[in-house]
Amino acid sequence: MELFLQQTVNAVALGGTYALLALGLAIVFSVMGMINFAHGELMTISGYTLMYCGIAGVPFVISVPLAILAAILAAVLMERIAFRPVRNASGATMLVTSFAVATILQILFQNLIATRSKPVALPEGLAQSVAFGDFLIGVNKLAAIGATIVMLIFLNWFLKRTSVGIAMRAAAEDFPVARLMGVRANAVIAGAFALSGLLAGVASVLWVSQRASVDPLMGFVPVLKAFIASILGGLGSLTGAVAGGFLLGFIEIYSTAFLPESLQEFKEPIGLAVVVLVLLWRPNGLIPSANFGTEKV
Amino acid sequence: MTVLPWRFLAIAVLVPVLLVIAAAMVGANVGGGVERTLIVFFINLAAVAGMGLYCGNSGILSFGHLSFMGIAAYTSAILSLPVAMKNMTLPNLPPVLAAIHLDFVLALLVAIAFSMLVAYVAGLVIARLEGAAATIATLALLIIVHGVIIGARDITRGSQSFFGVPRETDIWVAAAVCAVALVIVRLFRDSVPGLKLRAAREDLIAAKANGIGVKHERMLAWVLSAGLVALAGVALGHFLGAFSPKKFYFHDTFALLAMLIVGGMTTMTGAVVGAVSITLVSEILRRLEGGIDLFGYQLPEVFGTTQIGIGLIILLVMFRRSDGLAGLDEWDERLLPWLFRRKMPEGDDAPKLAATKNEDTLVADTVTKRFAGLIAVDKVSLSLAPGEIVGLIGPNGSGKTTLLNLISGVLPATSGVVTKGDTVITDMPAHRIAGLGIARTFQNIRLFRTLSVRQNVLAAALNAWPKRSVAEAEAASAAALDWMGIADKAESKANTLSYGDQRRVEIARALALEPDFLFLDEPAAGMNREETDALMETLRKLRDTLGLGLLVVDHDLPLIVRLCDRVVVLNEGKLIAEGAPGDVQKNPDVITAYLGRKRQDDIAA
Repeated sequence: MELFLQQTVNAVALGGTYALLALGLAIVFSVMGMINFAHGELMTISGYTLMYCGIAGVPFVISVPLAILAAILAAVLMERIAFRPVRNASGATMLVTSFAVATILQILFQNLIATRSKPVALPEGLAQSVAFGDFLIGVNKLAAIGATIVMLIFLNWFLKRTSVGIAMRAAAEDFPVARLMGVRANAVIAGAFALSGLLAGVASVLWVSQRASVDPLMGFVPVLKAFIASILGGLGSLTGAVAGGFLLGFIEIYSTAFLPESLQEFKEPIGLAVVVLVLLWRPNGLIPSANFGTEKV
Repeated sequence: MTVLPWRFLAIAVLVPVLLVIAAAMVGANVGGGVERTLIVFFINLAAVAGMGLYCGNSGILSFGHLSFMGIAAYTSAILSLPVAMKNMTLPNLPPVLAAIHLDFVLALLVAIAFSMLVAYVAGLVIARLEGAAATIATLALLIIVHGVIIGARDITRGSQSFFGVPRETDIWVAAAVCAVALVIVRLFRDSVPGLKLRAAREDLIAAKANGIGVKHERMLAWVLSAGLVALAGVALGHFLGAFSPKKFYFHDTFALLAMLIVGGMTTMTGAVVGAVSITLVSEILRRLEGGIDLFGYQLPEVFGTTQIGIGLIILLVMFRRSDGLAGLDEWDERLLPWLFRRKMPEGDDAPKLAATKNEDTLVADTVTKRFAGLIAVDKVSLSLAPGEIVGLIGPNGSGKTTLLNLISGVLPATSGVVTKGDTVITDMPAHRIAGLGIARTFQNIRLFRTLSVRQNVLAAALNAWPKRSVAEAEAASAAALDWMGIADKAESKANTLSYGDQRRVEIARALALEPDFLFLDEPAAGMNREETDALMETLRKLRDTLGLGLLVVDHDLPLIVRLCDRVVVLNEGKLIAEGAPGDVQKNPDVITAYLGRKRQDDIAA
């Protein structure tokens, strides 16, 4: 029972990080129909900012917002430089463009920073644990869960209460009509990227604080998982992205913890097979986007 | 079965094969590094073309194809490894596999068959997903297969190098593999399933409404392309002699996708252009990467020059020509268009559309459609007899188009039953309903935009039921184009036509199915008075000569009144009047719905 509880906490922490990443992908996808492969590189940029801040002796409380800011800036720049020229192209074109951006960035990191993984200085408190009765929870896990909750509440408020957020939701429903109503396309898309950068930045801080290192390919694996989480939840659906992220976190942690030794080697294929089964049952994802399949004919 | 004349396809296929042979002869004579580079190029090109067969024709990008390359490479390696060798390097191999030793060709065939079987199973899932979701599912496939190969350590040596594979692939084997792939890919594009798949890529809803069973065509292309990629995988395995699962993962997936995308994924020409240009560029950049002496100036070594260079090239191509360097047409379509002009008999021998023999009536019984809280169509009943023109009118948002969508199967009804004679068609998929002789056009034109007018119409004509031959379908297409007066535009791309002509193509496409019933959703929208009159004349002729039952939705009240035998009026999803045009026009409910209560009082006063 204790093991189960412990693993559940781990699953919530990991799933929360996936959920934040998947949300970032979903926001961009819902506004411009693009799957952003370079989302992982936003994480990496954020991770390196943390690393350099640590080397420069910047206190952690300041380096965290700086790292998040770096991801936001990078996301907005990425859109401005690389994605604006292909904005109205097909989904495949946008996907390939973002993949090229991701490759170029990865090579740049390898050349300009380091090919190997580098340690990141973290405050000692993060590595400690808090006792809840009988069982211990790592401070970093608690921080991850807390940060995820705060981000979800913030996002909900932002999308429902602010004019930019409402404009983004309108654009996700019907971009041409939103523009006719006076919504500025550039502002909405830049806003979507900034938001996805924010989420990637937070996810990166959480990711790094579990591992205390960064490498040039750091963002690749978690974002890959986030892609899968976003279709698991229903592509372009924000609630779906959160649900998919958490479900994937649970599948992953539980299969690591509870699969017999002989099957451990296959835990990734088995986890993904579970995802596939869920998709067979619900081809459009757990919580499909509301305007899925309502194309006007 | 192909939809282009054989003499044309023979040329389209022969030229690339000759080029491959010529390149192979050069490589075989020069030898050394050039020969090795060419072998890798041939294998890559075969894989890229194979990926293009699915991605290009279906429009769904796949990241998963390298898993079939891997499966095939491992399968054929295990089957062709000498038994003694296997006992040494793979001591825990299951006895059945340990005892087996096949020669190269047999191992190759088994490997391809096995890969296609895996592709079929994976396809059952992927075929249920659309667009970007399908793409991400292929990504999952790649990860799953990679994980399984690493995990199945007793058979594959896990993440370690699998070595000792007989080196069977010389330059001629590679060239043959490449030529086979190119020929199959080029022929598939203009095969019956290829044409249907391309139509579905351009417009999924229109494709289904014109009788194309999209899932079936997609599955066929998926399995076939997996087979070709598997062929390349076997060749690669027997060229390298040793490989590990890493060879069939993201890095190489991206390298091959880059070729596919830069060249243009919809054509065989694109695959060739992409493979050639990326191979050339990376050969040049690779030399730069090691640091090079340029006019006495020593350039520094820069790690990753090749990948950054290729990344920048992809960006440049995407910014400038997002369809890829080769664009949307094959080289032969560009250079030899005169070769595939097909002559249809003229005068009395010209093909004609057959009059329908249908005697069944189409009946919708209390059909309802709810969108969440909104009831778009509320218990509407409607019938349409052969040889009858029924007009469906109502204010904006009254549910006319939704009703058409329900009857034609584009949308599922929430409740109610639609029958044609004794056949219940309510829960049938749209393409089966089209096959049963119920054709339609769309309010906002839905043509297969990048296909020619002839291909647009043929893609529908091939789905008529009972099944007919390609020649019969071609005759029906010609007759349908002729009927709508656009035969002279047959070879133009649909998206280059004027608005009125696009509407006519849409009707011709529906007619080519030789349907019993035809639904027209605002056929006269955007037409001027003369065009509208000509259209009405055509529609009457459809009823009188071919015996079709027509259901026409339009806002143009004078048109509906003059054209229709009977008019049905919808308002807010409910049927409010039905009858002869003159009577319906005087119906007070109809006047209220159209003009509002107050106005009517004004008129009365």
